Amino acid sequence: MSPRRIDLAANLAALAAGALLSLMVHLNGELARQGGALFSSWMAHGTGTVAALLVVPLWWKAIQRSDAPRSAIPLWAYLGGFAGAVTVIMTSTAVNSSLALSGTVALGLAGQIVFSLAADRWGLFGIAKRRLRLGDAMALALIVAGSALVIWGSL
Amino acid sequence: MIEAVVLAFVAGGLVGVSRQLNGRLAVSTSALFASFCNHLVGFALLTAIGLAIGGLLRDGAFSGPWHIYFGGPVGVVFVALSSWIIGQIGATRSTMLIIAGQVLGGVALDWVLTGKPVSLAALGGIVLIVAGVIVAQRQRAGTPVKDES
Repeated sequence: MSPRRIDLAANLAALAAGALLSLMVHLNGELARQGGALFSSWMAHGTGTVAALLVVPLWWKAIQRSDAPRSAIPLWAYLGGFAGAVTVIMTSTAVNSSLALSGTVALGLAGQIVFSLAADRWGLFGIAKRRLRLGDAMALALIVAGSALVIWGSL
Repeated sequence: MIEAVVLAFVAGGLVGVSRQLNGRLAVSTSALFASFCNHLVGFALLTAIGLAIGGLLRDGAFSGPWHIYFGGPVGVVFVALSSWIIGQIGATRSTMLIIAGQVLGGVALDWVLTGKPVSLAALGGIVLIVAGVIVAQRQRAGTPVKDES
């Protein structure tokens, strides 16, 4: 694929991933009502592990083909799930404060955006450095303003 | 209050850290493998926490409608997609487009589930988000910068 095509595919994949995230949050939220926040997250990680194992044929070859020697992968790169699980605990605590859901969501989005800007600026955790382009800054401002309107419009 | 603000903000930052780590693992292996590791490690940690503080399994935890137990598999696809994306277009663009998809998807899902009309403010928000996506789409993603040092 040409770089332009990869860009387009990645952009569309990111939008689709966001929509999937909404579906996931909805399902896990329903499950949390049934069995509590910890149970919901535990269950989602467990069934997710099983689901990923069911599709091993899809990724086994790719791993064997990858030219990077196993020793070149830093150990911390395996800890994404650790950060994710800790996030669940922190947000379920914050939701039960006076911030409520909308405050927790809004601050969470702000935290994500600030981190991602820093990550691109300094190339954090082994992902390439990228300069922020004017178009991206404008797009970011529009998406943040729009998200704020949607969040407050549904309070 | 200030503690809760810091907690919610740092939690958001950790979402970014998680995506960055999974993306790094995906670069050397495969996006689905990164997603598998993410879920396995998270499951191990949450199991340990559940055993330590107890109360993991409440009565009736397993008696919900079947579909609410499928958030996990949806999450596997989500983590795999985002692990691939971040290596292609970087953290900022990944984050803003995922947020755009999440908010638009959330509005659509609410509308389907509740049938309530979308508010005027939310409609205005949708217009801004779509405009943002179009602006991002028209601009090439920033190319990786080589370190001169």
